[in-house]
Amino acid sequence: MRVQKSLRISHVGLRGVVGSGMTAAHVLDFAAAFGTFLESGGPVVIGRDPRASGIMIREGIVAGLLACGHDVVDLGVVSTPVIQHSVNRLNASGAISIGASHNAAEWNALKFFGPGGTYLSTAQAGELLDIYHLRKFNFADWDRIGSLRAESGAIDRYLEELSRAFDFDALQRFKVLVDCCNGTSSLILKRLNEQFGFGFILINEQIEGVAFAHEPSTTAKTVALQLAPLIKAVGADAGFLFDVDSDRVALATDEGRPVSEELVLPILSDYLLPRGPGKLIVTNLSTTALLDEVARNRGGRVVRVPVGRQAAIDALAAYRPEQIAVAGEGTGAVMMPQFRFVYDGIASMLAVLSMMSGTGRKLSEIVDSYPRYCILKGEVPLVTQEVPALLVDLQQRYSGGTVSMIDGLRVEWPDRWFHVRVSNTEPVVRVICEQRGSPPTALYETLMDTVRSYAA
Amino acid sequence: MPREHLLKIGVSGIRGVVGEFLTPSLALAFAQAFGSYVGPGRVVVGRDTRTSGPMLQHAVQCGLLAAGCEVVDVGVLPTPTIQIYTGATRARGGLAITASHNPPEYNALKLFNSHGLFFNTYERTELLDIYHQSDFHQAENDEIRRVSHDYEVPRRMHVECVLQHVDAERIRARGFRVGLDAVNGAGSVMTPGFLTDTLGCELHAISIDPTKIFPRVAEPRPDTLGDLAQLVRDRRCDIGFGQDPDGDRLAVADENGNVLDNDDVLALVVDAALERHAGDVVVNLTTSSVVDDIARLHGRRVFRTPVGEANVVETMQAVKAVIGGEGSNGGIIFPPVHLCRDSYTGMAFLLERMAATGCTIGELAARLPRYYRKLGKVAFEHGKLGPLMQSLEEHFPNAKLDRSDGLKLILDDAWIHVRASNTEPLLRLAAEARSEDRVEQLYGDVHRALES
Repeated sequence: MRVQKSLRISHVGLRGVVGSGMTAAHVLDFAAAFGTFLESGGPVVIGRDPRASGIMIREGIVAGLLACGHDVVDLGVVSTPVIQHSVNRLNASGAISIGASHNAAEWNALKFFGPGGTYLSTAQAGELLDIYHLRKFNFADWDRIGSLRAESGAIDRYLEELSRAFDFDALQRFKVLVDCCNGTSSLILKRLNEQFGFGFILINEQIEGVAFAHEPSTTAKTVALQLAPLIKAVGADAGFLFDVDSDRVALATDEGRPVSEELVLPILSDYLLPRGPGKLIVTNLSTTALLDEVARNRGGRVVRVPVGRQAAIDALAAYRPEQIAVAGEGTGAVMMPQFRFVYDGIASMLAVLSMMSGTGRKLSEIVDSYPRYCILKGEVPLVTQEVPALLVDLQQRYSGGTVSMIDGLRVEWPDRWFHVRVSNTEPVVRVICEQRGSPPTALYETLMDTVRSYAA
Repeated sequence: MPREHLLKIGVSGIRGVVGEFLTPSLALAFAQAFGSYVGPGRVVVGRDTRTSGPMLQHAVQCGLLAAGCEVVDVGVLPTPTIQIYTGATRARGGLAITASHNPPEYNALKLFNSHGLFFNTYERTELLDIYHQSDFHQAENDEIRRVSHDYEVPRRMHVECVLQHVDAERIRARGFRVGLDAVNGAGSVMTPGFLTDTLGCELHAISIDPTKIFPRVAEPRPDTLGDLAQLVRDRRCDIGFGQDPDGDRLAVADENGNVLDNDDVLALVVDAALERHAGDVVVNLTTSSVVDDIARLHGRRVFRTPVGEANVVETMQAVKAVIGGEGSNGGIIFPPVHLCRDSYTGMAFLLERMAATGCTIGELAARLPRYYRKLGKVAFEHGKLGPLMQSLEEHFPNAKLDRSDGLKLILDDAWIHVRASNTEPLLRLAAEARSEDRVEQLYGDVHRALES
C-alpha cells in the first residue's frame, strides 16, 4: 500500500496539504486538545503566515481555544519567532503558529509552544497527542468561554529586543538585498527600514497567500533563482533569503554566489563560539563535518542528535542553557541561546552581518576562509518493510568506521561520512555523503546502488 | 428520570447546551456540511449576544471557509435582519448563531437559503444527510476565500424594508412614550435606534447592553416581563415592547403595564395587515381562534399548520399569504417585509394602529373577541403516546379532528390541541373556549384522560 504523505500528526505538531490531507476538523480538534493540555492562566498567542488556508485555520484555532476557556491574542500575519517572543512579553500560557514554513503554498501546519515560547518537549508533545487522539476536551461552560483580542505592534516589540542584542548602528552601513519569498520577513524588514534606519532592498516582498514567486525553501538552489543574480547589479554586500515564516535563512555573497545551506550553521558557530555562553553546538547527524572542524578551532564540541526539531529540543533540554553556543541544522535553521532557543532567520541574518562588521571581512571572504567540504545528497522511494534489512546490510558493509544507529545509519571516517535514513516528511530514504576536499562520488554511487536494490 | 435533551441534531439543525454537548467541533462540521450544500459563494454569518456566540461563530466560519465559501460577518444582529440581508445581497445562504428564546447556556444554528428563508423539509433532510455522511467539500489553499465584515448595512436594509409598509410620519407625529426590554439580546444593537431615530418615540429602555447576560427568562411572555410592566407603569409609557435574544419574537405591554396575551398581539397585527393588504392568513394549530374572527371580518381565510416557524413559512409561501405567525410564540410574519418572524414589523404595525385610530393599545386589545386559554404540559412514558391519543379520540366522539401535528380536537364552542414536544418527553396542551369555566372543564377532562 502506498501511503499518501499529505497529513502527518506527530510530536512536532500537525502538517499537511490543506483539503486533501489537513482538514478544518483536524485543526479545531488539535486546538481543543492544546486548550485542554495547557494550564489555565495567561492567554494563548496565535499568529499565521500569509497562506490563504491560514484564514480558515485561524478560525478553527480561535474556536477551539475559546471553547476551552482560554483568552486568545491574535497577532495576525507574523513570523514564528515574533509569536514566540510575544509569549514571553504577554505572559501567555502558550502559543500556536499557523504556517508551513519552507513547504509549498498548498501545505499548512501548526506548531505549538509552551510558556516562555519554547517548543514542547517530547513528553509534553506526547501528552498533547494523547489528548488529541482521545478527543476528550475540557470545553468550558457557557459562562467561562474565553475572549479574543487582536494585537498589532508585536513586530516592533520583537525588534526592540533584537536592537538590544545587536549593534544596529554598525549594521546599517551594509547594503543588503533580501528575497522575502512573499512571506512574513517582508513585514519585519520593512519595520527595520521605517523604524530603525536600515536600508534593506527587498524582492518578492508582497505578502501572498496562493502563488509564491518560487519555492520558499532556504537552499542554495532557490538563492540562485532570483536573489544571487541581482547582487552585483545592486552592489549589495550580502543577500539573504527567508522561508515564509522567517525561521530559516539562506545566503548569497557579495560576488553573487549562492552559499550552500550547509554553511549557515558553521559560519554562525564560528562567530558565536567565542561569544558564548557555552561551548556546545547541537546539530543533527546529517549536518556537515565542517562544523566539527570549526568547533575544534574554536574550542567547542559538536553534539549530534537524530534529524528533526524534536530531537534537538530534547537534546537542548539535557544541558543548561549556558552550556550551549548555538544549535541548528544544515537547512538554514539556527537557534541562539540569546533568543530563547527558537529558530530565527532574522536574528541569524543580523548575526552574519555582525560578523562582517566585527571582522571587517566581506561575506565572500568569510565563506572562502573555510576548507572545502563536498556533500552529495540523494533520495530513493521508500519500501517501508525493507528498511531494517537495508540498514543491517549497510552496517555490515561499512563496519570499519564509527557507527551511529540512533537515526537510520551514520558511519564516519576521519575525512568522510555518510548517513542513510528514512525522511520524517516524505516517503523516501535519504542518502547523504560528505568528504573533505573532493566529492565522495564512488562512495555515494555504491550507497545509492545498495539502497536502490531494496526498492521495488 | 426524564431524558434531558441537551443536544439535538435533526432536520431543524443543531441545538444544545454549550460545553459538553454543543461543541465547536459539531458546529464546524454542521457549517461545513451547510457550505458544501449551498456551494462556494458568499454566506452571511451573524449571531445574538450569548457568551458562546463568538466562539461558535469562529467554528462556523472555519467550516464555511473550509467548504470554499466566502464569509460575510455581520456581527450581533437580530435574526430577521440577518435573513433580510442574506436575501437582499443574493448570498448563497445565511447562518444565525442563536438559540432564540432558550436559556443562556444553550445555543443553536439557524440556517437560511439564498432568499434568507428557512430551507424546506426536503432540503433540510438533504443537508442532514451530507452532515451524517461527512461528505464535505474540502477546499484547497487556492480555493480558500476571505472573511469580510458588514455591520451597518444590514440594519439599514431591515429598517428601510419595514418603513415601506408603515406610515412613519404618522407615528413620528405622535411622539409615543415607549418602554423596551431587549433582554440584553441582539435587539439591543438595533431597537433603540429604530424606535427613536426612525419612529420618533421617546424611549424608556431596560436590558439593552449586548455585552451583559440575559437578566430574565429569555422567552418574552406575560410571566417573564415583570420588569417591563413596572417600567411602563413608572414612566407612564404608551406601550412596552419585550424581545427575545435574537429579536424575532415580540411581546407587548399595554399602557397600564398589563402584558398582552401573545395571541392577541398577533390578532392585532393581523388586523393591521388585512386593513391594508388583500390576502389570506396562516397560523399554527395552537394559535387562538381570535385570528379566525379577525380574518372573517376582513373576508379572509385562515390556514393552519403544524407548530414551528418553518411550517408556517412553508404554507405562507404556498398560499401566498399576506400575514401569518404563531400566537403563543410571539411570532409575527409579514412577507412584504420578509418571510420570517420579525418583531420590528410588529412594533411598527402596532404603533401605526395606535396613531391611525387614536386608541391606546389597551383599548385596541379590549375590542378583540374574548377567548379564554389554558396552556400546560403532561409528562408521558415513551411508547405510550399512541394509546394516549387514541383514548382521547374515543373520549370526544363528536369532535372534529386534526391530526397534522399531534391531535387537535375541535368542538363547537372550544378546542384543545395535544402534541408531543420536539425536545422533551412531554405532551403540550393548549385549550381555548369562549368562557373561563368551559376552558377549565375541557382542559380538566383531557388532563384526567391523559393521566388515567
